[in-house]
Amino acid sequence: MSHEYVPEIATSRDGKQHEVQGWQGDFYGGKLGFWLFMLTEVMMFGAMFLVLTYYYSLHQQDFIDASSHLNRLLGGTNTVVLLISALTMGLGLLRMRTGDVKGAKLMIYATIILAIIFLGIKAVEWREEFEHGVFLGLDALQSGNEHSRPFGQILFYGMYFTMTGLHGFHIIIGIGLMIWLLKRINAGKVTTEHHILHFNIALYWDLVHLIWVFVFPYYYMIGAGSGH
Amino acid sequence: MDTNKIDYAKEKVGYYKVLGGLLLLTTLTFIQPHMFLEHYTFTVQIMIGATKAWIILMYYMHMKGETLIGWTVVFAVSLVVFFFTVVIPDVNHFQFKEESHITSQAHIEVDYGHHTASHEE
Repeated sequence: MSHEYVPEIATSRDGKQHEVQGWQGDFYGGKLGFWLFMLTEVMMFGAMFLVLTYYYSLHQQDFIDASSHLNRLLGGTNTVVLLISALTMGLGLLRMRTGDVKGAKLMIYATIILAIIFLGIKAVEWREEFEHGVFLGLDALQSGNEHSRPFGQILFYGMYFTMTGLHGFHIIIGIGLMIWLLKRINAGKVTTEHHILHFNIALYWDLVHLIWVFVFPYYYMIGAGSGH
Repeated sequence: MDTNKIDYAKEKVGYYKVLGGLLLLTTLTFIQPHMFLEHYTFTVQIMIGATKAWIILMYYMHMKGETLIGWTVVFAVSLVVFFFTVVIPDVNHFQFKEESHITSQAHIEVDYGHHTASHEE
């Protein structure tokens, strides 16, 4: 259903009339607003990292032991996949800004594929952990039974599944946003002149990458030198 | 800021340079626990992560030259760092181990009136 565009007019104190700019026309406002949203994300994940550091200071050896059992090859591969996806997203935005819309769409498709690969690798990793009896709800991560892991490890794995799960959820949201962006580009709503939506989704993707930059060493690397 | 006046070829080279830097730091992440400062892995890893985050913020998220948004980010991150700074040293003086759900019950010493007993007994 389409509506005829009716401009909203505001009158300034000196009596002059101005057309009110929509969010598409207010690049800086759109960017600033999105940054404020991203800061709420930073504080949410920041609180989780704070909890993690707190637990680590209480149960250092358990954390190192648990970390040494995570699959660093798969975690490291995912790190590189996200790195490349941040590049494709950035190059897509560059192409949009220079008027190469087709090239921009290709780069968004490439980013979506890399995001799906990331989720696939994460699924393989979680399945591997499930098969080793380490998963939320299984005996190993419940205290007070014969299969229970040491207390610090239960905390470690609880945080690991929560944070990587939440991060994965952000990846899924990112894929949804990129599909929506492609639809908006196809509909001519996102163009070289009005690309704030593309800019903000690229920012979101960088944030998802940024969070992983800390998730990876916190979980996978702290036990890397322990000999397992 | 006019965001459309850009030189694609020049900007693209910048993106690839950043990718190279990030890959180099990722390699460092992998070799550090086996090659140097092995006893400080946690601290070194977080410092490498912080360096990567700074590069992403400056070059991929276009924070370079952004004054208002830059200070907004600095303020928000400072709040998180402030809480870290206050809470982490306090962990060393944790007073509520008996009631806690985050400390192992196996090693807690409980004071039963005149006797002090361990749960391990």
